[in-house]
Amino acid sequence: MSEAAFLEQVRQNQGIIYKLVALYANDAEEKKDLYQEVLLQAWKGWPAFRNDAKFSTWLYRICLNTIFTQKRKKHRIDYKDSLENISPAVQNSSVQKEDAVRLQQAIRQLSETDRAIISMNLDGYETGEIAAILGISNNHVSVKLHRIKQQLANLLTQ
Amino acid sequence: MSIEKTWSGINEQQDGDLSSLLQTARLSKLSSHNPLQKIRKNLLINMIWGVAICILYVFIILYFQIWQVQAAIAFVLIFSLWALYTSYLNYTKLKTTISPAVPVLEELKRHHQSITGWMHTQQRVALFIYPVSAAGGFMLGGVLGSGKPVAAFMNNPAMLIILLITIIILVPACYYMAKWMFNIGFGKHLNALQQNINDMEEEK
Repeated sequence: MSEAAFLEQVRQNQGIIYKLVALYANDAEEKKDLYQEVLLQAWKGWPAFRNDAKFSTWLYRICLNTIFTQKRKKHRIDYKDSLENISPAVQNSSVQKEDAVRLQQAIRQLSETDRAIISMNLDGYETGEIAAILGISNNHVSVKLHRIKQQLANLLTQ
Repeated sequence: MSIEKTWSGINEQQDGDLSSLLQTARLSKLSSHNPLQKIRKNLLINMIWGVAICILYVFIILYFQIWQVQAAIAFVLIFSLWALYTSYLNYTKLKTTISPAVPVLEELKRHHQSITGWMHTQQRVALFIYPVSAAGGFMLGGVLGSGKPVAAFMNNPAMLIILLITIIILVPACYYMAKWMFNIGFGKHLNALQQNINDMEEEK
C-alpha cells in the first residue's frame, strides 16, 4: 500500500486527529508535535493495517495510544485566551464557533481518560468498542460514561 | 446546544498545521519524539561510551602493573561488560512504535514498565560499579600521587578510613544524583502514565 493511499486515508479521517489533539495539547507547539507523532506512528503501523478493519477505528487507537504515551506539558492552558490557537479551524457561524469552544473547553476540564471516553462516545462508538479500545470492562465504561455526561452537563450550564 | 451536533461540526473542520503535514515529501522527514525513542537513543549512546570505557579499562590493566588496581579495574570491567550486554538486550527489545492492535491501558503499562525497567537497571549497575570503581580510582590516584606501591600506600590506616569515607559518600551521592536526574527527565511523565493507568483500572 502506497504512501499516497495512506495520506488519502488520513486526509479523509483527519477530523479524528484534529479533535483528539485539540483535547490534549496545551499549546500550539505541543499540538504540532502531537500531530507529527500521530502521523509518524500511523505511517509506521500502516504496513500492518488490514483492510478488513475500519481505518477510522484503527486511527483512533493510534491517536489515543500516541497521545497518552507522549511526554506532554503538565499545566492546563487558560482556554479563553488560547483556544483560537488550538482550534483555528472553527470558522463557521459565531454561535457554532462559540458552542464548539464551550464544548471543547468543558471536555478539557475532564480527566484525560474521561476525555477519551466521551470523545469516542460522541463519535458514535458503542460501549463495547470503547472498552475494547481502552482495554477496560464494559461495565467500567458504562459507569464512567454516566458520570462524565453528568459532569459535562454541569460544566456546560455553568 | 446539542453536544452531538456541535461535536460533529468540529469533526468537519480542517487544520492548517495538520494539512501541511499530509504531503508525501513531509512524511519521510518526520522524526519521533516518543520517550521510548529517546531512551533507545540514550541506550545507544551509553553503549558507545561503554565500549570506549572498557577499552580504557583494558589499557589501565595492561599499563599499570599494580595487582590491586588491576583486580579492582578487572572487576569493574566485568560489570561494565555485563552492563553493556544488558544495554544491548534492552536496546534490541525496546519497541518504540505504537501498536494499533493493543488497547490503550496495555500500551500505557508497557511504556511505564519499559521506562522504570531502564531506570532500575541503571540503578543496579550504579550500585555494583560505583564502590569498586571508587576504590580502584582511589588506589590508582594514591599510587600515582605518592609514588609508593599500593601495599605501602594503603598500609596507612588513615588511607583506609579516607577510602571508606569516599565510598560511603560517593556511592549514595552518585546513586541519588542519578535518581534525581532520572526524575527530572521522566518523573512527571511516569506520574502521568501511572495516573491514567490508575484511572482506567479503578472500577468503582
